[in-house]
Amino acid sequence: MTGTPSSDAAPRGLRLAAAAPVMRYAQMQGHAGPCWAVDVSCVPRAAICAGETAQAAGNVLPHTIILEVNEPAAHTLGPYSGRAGMIGRPISAFWPRESQAILSGLIQDVLSDGSPGAERSQTITSLQFQDPRLSVWTGQGSDVEDIVFIAIAGTEIDGRSLWSLRASEVRYRNLIQHLPSALLEIDATAMTAMFDRLRADGIADIAAHLDATPAAALTARRIVRVTDANRAAVQLLGATGADQLIGPVDYLFARSPDTAKRVIAAHYDGRRNFSDVMKLATLDGRLRDVALTVTYPTPPDRLDITILGLEDITERLRTEAQLRQLQADYSRAARISTLGELATSIAHEINQPLAAIVTNAETSQRWIARDEPNLAKVAQLTARIAESGRRASDIVQRIRQMAARRPPERAPIDLSEVVDEALHFVRHEIESRSINLSARLASDLPLVLGDRVQLQQVIVNLLVNAVQAQGCGPDTRIDLATAAGAADVRFTIHDGGSGIAPEDLGCIFSSFFTTKEEGIGIGLALCQSIIASHGGTISAANHPDGGALFQFMLPVAPQE
Amino acid sequence: MSEAPVIAIVDDDEAVRDALLDLLFVEGMAGQTFASATALLDAYQPGRFGVIITDVRMAGIDGLEMQRRLRALGSDVPVIVLTSSTDEETRERAVRDGAFGYVTKPVADEVLLTLLRGALARK
Repeated sequence: MTGTPSSDAAPRGLRLAAAAPVMRYAQMQGHAGPCWAVDVSCVPRAAICAGETAQAAGNVLPHTIILEVNEPAAHTLGPYSGRAGMIGRPISAFWPRESQAILSGLIQDVLSDGSPGAERSQTITSLQFQDPRLSVWTGQGSDVEDIVFIAIAGTEIDGRSLWSLRASEVRYRNLIQHLPSALLEIDATAMTAMFDRLRADGIADIAAHLDATPAAALTARRIVRVTDANRAAVQLLGATGADQLIGPVDYLFARSPDTAKRVIAAHYDGRRNFSDVMKLATLDGRLRDVALTVTYPTPPDRLDITILGLEDITERLRTEAQLRQLQADYSRAARISTLGELATSIAHEINQPLAAIVTNAETSQRWIARDEPNLAKVAQLTARIAESGRRASDIVQRIRQMAARRPPERAPIDLSEVVDEALHFVRHEIESRSINLSARLASDLPLVLGDRVQLQQVIVNLLVNAVQAQGCGPDTRIDLATAAGAADVRFTIHDGGSGIAPEDLGCIFSSFFTTKEEGIGIGLALCQSIIASHGGTISAANHPDGGALFQFMLPVAPQE
Repeated sequence: MSEAPVIAIVDDDEAVRDALLDLLFVEGMAGQTFASATALLDAYQPGRFGVIITDVRMAGIDGLEMQRRLRALGSDVPVIVLTSSTDEETRERAVRDGAFGYVTKPVADEVLLTLLRGALARK
């Protein structure tokens, strides 16, 4: 038989071929689409008579051996080795599973027809062709006995072959499998029925519903299943293989039932993504902190694949906690150092009430020692003693707070109060240097969320700087003020010093920057880190009237 | 000296002022309190005060500066410095400027009263 070269109508991929091969069978001529010649001599006769059944496909196609394929066929269904890799092999090795039964049925039909040239055709579904029609016919003549021809007619959707589609699926699976992130495939389609029921019942607030009916979330945790897991997930969950992870998702949420509820709620609300941080008990008995991300399927995604990502953040959280502790230790050390600098002022501050107590007590004794003790006077003096005692105790309490080792806290506080408290530490420093202090502290400031002691520390630091910035002139002053902004509360302090050198303005908040001989330059850096940790900002500038102007702003606490 | 001389008490701390005033009162002495050095200087008239008891560290003019200004006004009123400061330099300055006495807080009543009587006697 003389073959003919493939026509110009061949798919575009083929035009790259140097020379189209010659077909052994004339029957294959004129087919621009995929075409095969197959040997059916080995197909069991019983299979031919069995009719069109699923079992028959299993019997027919493995015995149907490929004799010849044209290039479009090789391109469409063939392996990477092309035509040569197909010839001599059963067609079942290449034919798409979803249309194997159809092909098998058509082969059975033409064989049981028995007449030469018998032909059958049927429309099939294919990812690659639009409205494809599959035709099967027998040859005519002794040279083509036991040979059946197969052809597909239809418009190719694009140049991708089924093989490359499969390969891309395999690549996708490989990619998922080897990604360093732990990923689980979840089938949450079972939730659809539950969600439909809830919607029919008019449930809008799913979170409240799940809180009210604890069984609902537990049911969901049983009916939603893990269908696949990649290697990183196997490792993270302390399993020996992915098969251990396949089953109800329940085990994922054993230590974080509230997270499970939130995952369900996000799904119900039609969200695309959800993320949360949760505690995860692994199969080998460890407890890890995990960042969970859920990507819910939305059309055209396959609805039975919800992707669940897990990231072990145990170490990160531990490091962050250590960092916070270090920062706390560091600011405490700085506070103690500040207390040391202010020791003289603090001693004076405590000594005043003590002096009053001693004098009042001795005066009382003098009244009592009289022939007619003046008890009214003694009562007045002892009341004053008690008052001074409390005052001294308050001062000691403030110092103790400043020096205490304690975790940072966030409580609603009035910044004006904090400024007032901070002034206690520095007041004598200011007065002994004859500095005129003007404090315009707004009353009824919106509250800010913060750590009282740390904010006191910032203000004390700024005050000490302002005190030290004063020259020796008679007109020394410090103006400080608190005020409410649009969504923040601000503190400003303006000193009567010589201001900040322009070249220093940019680095004044850097660690170890100092213009003082005895300073080590942590004060302002610490102020900045404390204000930043409160979500605020701090800035330094030179006031137009001279002197340095420091200002910080803190966001107003959210209304409860 | 027909009338009992007035003893001026200068301290920016109210509790301290009141305590000292009551101590004078129980001993039958007349006292007057001032919350700052400026207040005393404003009220100062020659012969008005028998003794002045003053703190050192105060807002505005401090106790030692007040003593110098009184001297500049020609005052010879004895000044007793009563301070929390244990700073030797402050003490030397006070004495050099002519303080009659220098005692630290808290002071024993007997010590202060002895000093006061000494100052009044000198006057």
